[in-house]
Amino acid sequence: MPRWGMVFDLKRCIGCNACTIACKQENNLPTDVFFTKTLSEEVGDYPAVTRHYIPTLCNHCDDPPCQRVCPSGATYTRSDGIVMVDENLCIGCGSCIVACPYDVRTMIQPRHLEQGLFGDGHFTPYEQQAANRFVAGTVVKCTFCHERVDAGLDPACVTTCPTKARIFGDLDDPESDVRQLIAERGGQQPLPDKNTSPKVYYID
Amino acid sequence: MSAPERRRSKEGEQLMYAKQAAIVGDEFRPGFRLQRSWSWSMATSFFLGETGAGLFIVSLVLGYLPGLVLGLLLASVGKTAGHLMHMGQPIRAWRAIFKLKHSWTSRGLLAIILFTGCGIILVLDGAGLTFGLLPPALKFVVIAVAGVSAVVIMLYQGFVMSHSAAIGLWSSGLIPVLGLTYALLSGVSLLSVVGYGMLAARPHDDEMLQIVQVGLLVYVAVMLYSLVHAATFGPKGAQQSMSMLLHGPLAIWFIPLVVVIGLVVPILIISLEPKGLVPRLVATLALLVGYYTFRVLIFKAAVFDPIQSFLPQVARARPRRF
Repeated sequence: MPRWGMVFDLKRCIGCNACTIACKQENNLPTDVFFTKTLSEEVGDYPAVTRHYIPTLCNHCDDPPCQRVCPSGATYTRSDGIVMVDENLCIGCGSCIVACPYDVRTMIQPRHLEQGLFGDGHFTPYEQQAANRFVAGTVVKCTFCHERVDAGLDPACVTTCPTKARIFGDLDDPESDVRQLIAERGGQQPLPDKNTSPKVYYID
Repeated sequence: MSAPERRRSKEGEQLMYAKQAAIVGDEFRPGFRLQRSWSWSMATSFFLGETGAGLFIVSLVLGYLPGLVLGLLLASVGKTAGHLMHMGQPIRAWRAIFKLKHSWTSRGLLAIILFTGCGIILVLDGAGLTFGLLPPALKFVVIAVAGVSAVVIMLYQGFVMSHSAAIGLWSSGLIPVLGLTYALLSGVSLLSVVGYGMLAARPHDDEMLQIVQVGLLVYVAVMLYSLVHAATFGPKGAQQSMSMLLHGPLAIWFIPLVVVIGLVVPILIISLEPKGLVPRLVATLALLVGYYTFRVLIFKAAVFDPIQSFLPQVARARPRRF
């Protein structure tokens, strides 16, 4: 059984946020809801100025605090390491949102399912179909596009990235790109002091 | 103002607040992010639960029935109502009991159920409505279960908060102890007012209660200072939170309400004029205002650490000193 993980190559990321758009499109996400974001930050003083781009998403931690605190068992980890939320079990207490150090969980509010993104706010047929996927008052998050992964595809953000800054693969396979990149270039996990063992690595 | 306008206005306020506090809102920038999932309803729920459980347990020790009733109402009805108002799916609330092995929320729900059940039996028994059907041995078990579950209610909310390292301010063993101490103090203070007549007839108990009250006030002050100290020199998120509470936009609430009105005023009143009903009422109200403000602010000041721990030092966000 694979253990899926992702590597972000910060040298390649150009901050275009195509991944953000691809994610919203793939998952039909309502307005204000993002499963992935590319943060950008300007550092230094003129003339030594540079800009960092930092892609973020759910880290699908090996020891996910969101799952530990969930009182209803709605958050669970699949055998391939993908952390999921069962919207039929979620009670909307928000415990997982405050327990996640990466702030990547969102509560679906009724307003998310009432207003479309375009024109006068009415749903397009595509958006109407999307709105039926979500349940107001429950928590959603990145699932590594599990339907695509189950079908043998990469997550939408990985497929879309024009610079191949996102690399997806099996962390348990020594021959996989992710394992080799981590080994060669010293992959670092975000906020290691939180002891969550993320399955997302950054290489710089 | 229409609902979307109200929402935009609220979001604008939040954005302004975030900029004032040198933290990022929903922008695509790295930095400290405010915790916004738990707010007033959860703070009210925590406050009512701890205050009610504290009053219940002190009333149980002194055998004061009206105190038991009020404590039971606050902790069972008030706290539950606050939680249900907060939940996205309140109809499914019963599901929260399934993960007793891992989740403090589940353990807390079990404690609330046991507390409510045993509390109702004790109140009925105290009012003579069990008609002698409660044998002494069983009554002892009911008292023990009610007492233990009341203590769990006073403690578990702190454990829920400190269970994860996500929020630096909360990730401290001081949080559950501070909650327990505040709960007992609120219980003692409330009983000194609602049980004023009963205590007038029992001067020895009254004197003991005053000593306990002053002791708890001093202990809360020490615990609060310890929390400030631990957070000031703790993780960056905790430093940012403490900077907001002591010098930033929340300082106008934290210092006057939590420290001065919530601690200094009650200590002064109880030390100078401990016997009268009015001074006790004022001291108790002041304490409860301070405690409720503390509960709200501990949520409002909570921030998530910036995630760029892997970048060079120059790029990492540093807590802003106000």
